[in-house]
Order: sequence, then C-alpha cells, then structure tokens
Amino acid sequence: MRKKMTLASVAGVATITLALAACGGGDGSTGGDGGGGGEGDGSLTVWAWDPAFNVYAMNEAATIYQQDNPDVTVEVIETPWEDIQTKLTTLAQTGELEELPDIFLMQNNAFQKNLINYPELFTDITDSGIDFAEFPESVVAFSTTEGANYGVPFDNGAAVTALRTDVLAEAGYTIEDFTDITWDEFIANGEDILAQTGKPLLSGVAGESDLITMILQSTGGSLFDADGNPTISDNDALLQAIDVYTRLVESGLFVEVNSWDEYIGTFVNSNVAGTINGIWILGSIQTAEDQTGLWNITNLPSLEGVGEATNYSANGGSSWVVSSNADAELAEDFLGATFAGSTEFYDTILPSSGAIANWIPASESEVYAEPHPFFADQPVFQLAVEFGAQVPSVNTGAYYYEGRDAVSAAITNILNGADPADALAEAQATVEFAMQ
Amino acid sequence: MTRRSLRSLPSLVFLTLAALASVFPLYFMVVSATNTSQDVLGSRLLPGGQLVDNLNKLLAAQDLGAAMWNSTLNAVGTTVLALLVCSIAGYGFEVFHSRNKDRLMGVLLLAMMIPFAATMIPLFRMFADFGLTSTTIAVILPAISVPFVILLFRQAARSFPHEIVEAARIDGLRELGIFLRIFIPTMRSTYAAAAVVIFMTAWNNFLWPKVILINEAFQTMPMLISNLTSGYVTDYGVLMLAVLLTSLPTMVLFLVLQRAFAQGITGAIK
Repeated sequence: MRKKMTLASVAGVATITLALAACGGGDGSTGGDGGGGGEGDGSLTVWAWDPAFNVYAMNEAATIYQQDNPDVTVEVIETPWEDIQTKLTTLAQTGELEELPDIFLMQNNAFQKNLINYPELFTDITDSGIDFAEFPESVVAFSTTEGANYGVPFDNGAAVTALRTDVLAEAGYTIEDFTDITWDEFIANGEDILAQTGKPLLSGVAGESDLITMILQSTGGSLFDADGNPTISDNDALLQAIDVYTRLVESGLFVEVNSWDEYIGTFVNSNVAGTINGIWILGSIQTAEDQTGLWNITNLPSLEGVGEATNYSANGGSSWVVSSNADAELAEDFLGATFAGSTEFYDTILPSSGAIANWIPASESEVYAEPHPFFADQPVFQLAVEFGAQVPSVNTGAYYYEGRDAVSAAITNILNGADPADALAEAQATVEFAMQ
Repeated sequence: MTRRSLRSLPSLVFLTLAALASVFPLYFMVVSATNTSQDVLGSRLLPGGQLVDNLNKLLAAQDLGAAMWNSTLNAVGTTVLALLVCSIAGYGFEVFHSRNKDRLMGVLLLAMMIPFAATMIPLFRMFADFGLTSTTIAVILPAISVPFVILLFRQAARSFPHEIVEAARIDGLRELGIFLRIFIPTMRSTYAAAAVVIFMTAWNNFLWPKVILINEAFQTMPMLISNLTSGYVTDYGVLMLAVLLTSLPTMVLFLVLQRAFAQGITGAIK
C-alpha cells in the first residue's frame, strides 16, 4: 500500500516537472535579465510610465543622444508609477539590486521618502557635471538630501489656474481679473460668477489635500520642518489654507466629487468653469475638443498675510534617477546631454507631448513662446516655465504622503463640523505615530 | 391575470430591477468601448461608432497580442497544473488515512488566511535566487496549490463511493490508475468548477506578475490595463475596450462551464 502511494506521488511529481519544463520552454534565456541595468555594454534600460509623455520623451532623448553616440541603445519599459514603487520596495527589501534598470522616473512627492528609506537604490550625481542651478530650486529640493543630488528634474509641476473665458465673459470678467489676486478676491469673483452663470469655478476629489498643499506651498510652508518633523498642528499657513478650502466648498465654488475620473469629467463636461492643478492637467483639459479657444491659464491666488504669500506653487512633477545598478557614467552623460542640456530635445518633445521642461534655458526657445490655439493663443508653455521658476522651495520629508493623508482626513472632519485646531492636532498625532 | 401571479408581481418587479442593476456595469463597459473618451466621461449610454478607432488606438499604444498570449499562457498553465495538484491532494486527503492528515489540512487552511502581501517579498527573494525572475514558471508555480480548491476536491471526494476504490483495487488497478481512470471522469463537474475559479484568479492576477515579470515582453492583460491608466491623460474609450477584451475570456469560460460549475459547487455525485 505504502509502496503504491510512493509510486503515485513520484508519478505525480514527474508529471508536474515535465509540464513545468514545457511551460518554461524558451523562457530560460531571458531568466534573471529583467532589470538589465549596469551591463556596461552601451545600453540603458529605463522605467517610465506614460507612453504619450515621459516614455515618448525618453525615446526622443535617445534619438538625439544617438546622433553623437550611435552605439548607445535605450530601452524604455513602460511601468506605471505605483508599480515602479512596488518594484523598488521589493528590490530594496530583498537586496536584489541587480534587477534595477539604469534609469527610472520618480514622482517628486515620493522622492524624499524613497531616498531616506532606500538610499541603496540611488547613485549620487552631484559631481556628474550636470548644472543643477539651471533647474528651479524648489524642484531640485525634492531630489536633494544633505547637499547631494540624486535626481534630474524632468516635467514641470507648476500650478496654474485654468479658467473658461466664455463663462468669465458671460459674467463680465476676464482672465486679468484672476491674475495676481488673493484668495479673498478669487472667492468674491467666483461667487459673483456662480450667481450669474450657475457655474462653479473649481472641482476636486473629496478627501484629498491637493489644493490645500498647493496653497500651503505658495506661502513657502509645508507639513514638515527642515528636520523632517511634522508641523501640522500650530501651523498658521495650514489653518488659513484649510479656511480657504472650507469657504470654497461651503460657498459652492468648489464641487467635491468622489474620484479622479469624475474630477476630469467635471471640466470636460463643462460642469465647472475651471480648475487649479499642476500644468500637466492641460492634457486632460484638451480632450474636450469642443472647448478649443475657450480656456486661459494664469497663476494661483495668494494667501494674503501668511509667509511669502506668492502666486506660485506646484503639484506633481517627476525626476529621473540614476539607479545604483546603472552604468553610471553613461547614464549621467546621457541625462546631462539631453534632459539637462539640450534645447533641441525640449523643442522636439514639446509640441507633440506637451512635456514642459523644468530646465530653465529651454523656455528661452521660440517653440515655448508659440501661441497655443486651444488656450486662445496664450503661450501656455512659456508661462508654465515662468511660474515654475518662482515656486517657493519646501521640504517634503520622508513622511510626506502620511502627512497629506492625515491632513486629508482632518479636512473631512473639519467640513463635518470639527474644530480645525483639534482636527489638525489629531493629524499631527497620527503622523507622529506613523514615524515611530 | 390570476390572483397568484398578481401576488408575485412585487417580487418580479424587484427581481427585474435587481437583475438590471447587476447587468448595468457590464452594459456600460460594452457601450463605452464604442464611445470617445469625452462621451464616456459624460456617461453616454448609447453605443457609438468609435469601436474601430478605439481598437486602433489601443493597438498603437500597447502590444495587445503579446499581452493576450502571455495571459493565456499563464492562466491555462496555472489552471492545468493547479487542477492536477489540488485534485491529487484533495483525493489523497479523503481516500488515504493518516493520523496527521487533519493537522496538515489545518495548516493548509491557515495558509489561506495569510495575505499575499506578507509572503511576496520572501517569495520574490526565492525566485530571484533561482534566477527565475521574468519567467512564466515564476508566475505559475506559486499559484498551483490553492487551499480552497484542495478543500473543494476533498469535499467532493467525500461523496466518491469508497466501494469503487476497493473494487478497482481488487481488480488490480493501481492507485494512479484509480485516480486517473475512475476519479477524474466521475468528478468532471468538480473539475469544471475548480477550473473556472482557478482560471479567473490566474487571469486577473496582477500584483505578483507585476513584481516578478520585470521584462516588458511578459506583460499580461491586467498589466496592460494598468499601463493605460498611468499617464497624465487617460483615454477612457480605449480603456473600456481593453477592460472588455480582458473580461471576455473569463466570461466565455464561465458561460461554457456554467452548468457544470453550479453542479460542482453543490456536489458532484447525485
């Protein structure tokens, strides 16, 4: 009996092994060669996520670099940002760093967290010859720690106020009435427009703190101090930003929706007459082809009397990282010659992808100054770079996402009637608990 | 109309509404695949003429053929092997007797409670050590032993008449022969039910393939959908078409095996 069982199990295992061997047929040669970084054979592997945007930009950069370096090949692997983060965490925790590509793209908001938690993923590129002074200080700050640079800024996250000029005109306003103004003026104008046209100006996902952190950054404030300690409670700028948000929602000027897709839908379907977000939102605005010529952009309202009180802020944006598994010399030279040194490159990618540079010299090019038909012939790209250069620099810290989440929860409580100071004290405690 | 049918009218209305509500998302998915992105955002409920256009955009943006092939290979491979392994295990648990088998079953059931996120990193390290990252085997292997399916087969084997096993043994059939020539044909509907469950899980599997398949050439359908939503601008018509194409194989499989599935879940032998 026992003998028969053994035989049966041996037969079973043999079947499985055979089947597996058949399944794996042809895969063996590629096994273990997924990351592909650091081979030193003149090839660069890159992880990026948007085929119409950063993947496209990287491929164009490769074409330009190949003019002088015909032997270099660049392979871009399309990987959504959340998946890049999952992979980075897995590779760092398992120590399998040889699976890393040469270069990967990272969201600026997540940069400090990764840099502090997994420094082994990065190569220090401070002495690579790239001139970081040619990028806005506020953007370079995302990828800098203790004076060392770990990223080449790519796309511009400068915040803009985009508005429907036809709706403004109906109520007797122009884009100038929304330029260089304060939040009080914005709310007064907005209420008037809402009363006359029935259109609210803004929308956003309920329970997300994007607008509040944009307002906060415009004052030079953050959720963390220079040492990375949370400064959520007892933060005057944050309290005032939340006050602005509450007034926007309560006056009906800001429509809260439940998801990102609904948010896009609100302006594409003309339910609201504008939006405030990073400049990259222009791509989604332009999907409404019937609204061509009806949009303008301008800077953000300022939070009067708090901190620096500027009209400039940022949301999003991303930077290229040279991984610790890279052919570092080649990767640095490649990024230095393209993303941090070629107007030709930025001129090429701008018209078809709308990928706006953080690299300041690029904005001097004529391509940036060209009027954009969708935005009633405004030179939106040049404006974006100009706005971006004036954004106050802030520290995001390792727990930026936790901070934003805690503030988001606080906003929901405040809108439900909680005392703002108490809600923020609770948020502070939540972040401190996460940091233990 | 008789009194009886009048009395059942409210429940009929209720059931009709419930049926419509559950079919609606499916309808919206199909209709949206034929509309432009702007129409989808505007919740247009009528079919449009964009199907070919969306398909062309999808083909231009992503390697649809490769993703379909990879998903099929992973799902079929997993289903065949998991059916074999789990049914042998379930059969063994019921037919053979050992003092520790209930304890072992307990351990297996406990394994069901561990979330995948907890085992992902050790698993990745193991496969990286074997040099198996970016291989189909790495996707299939962790999925071939499914405690739930083992349990399903064990329950089904309970109703498998022990006398048949005894009779077959007397007639000189070996254990493997009993399993292959008697158990498998009798348990066809259990196999169908298990196949649907395993195929669906394998086809929709996202996290593990995403982590272990670093090479883009191994991209699966769920990964393709994820890529479509990763950019600053999402084309919702194209996205809905991709979702529709991804759902089709599991829908077809379920429709084909529907009757057997219901039988297999409720008990194989009458």
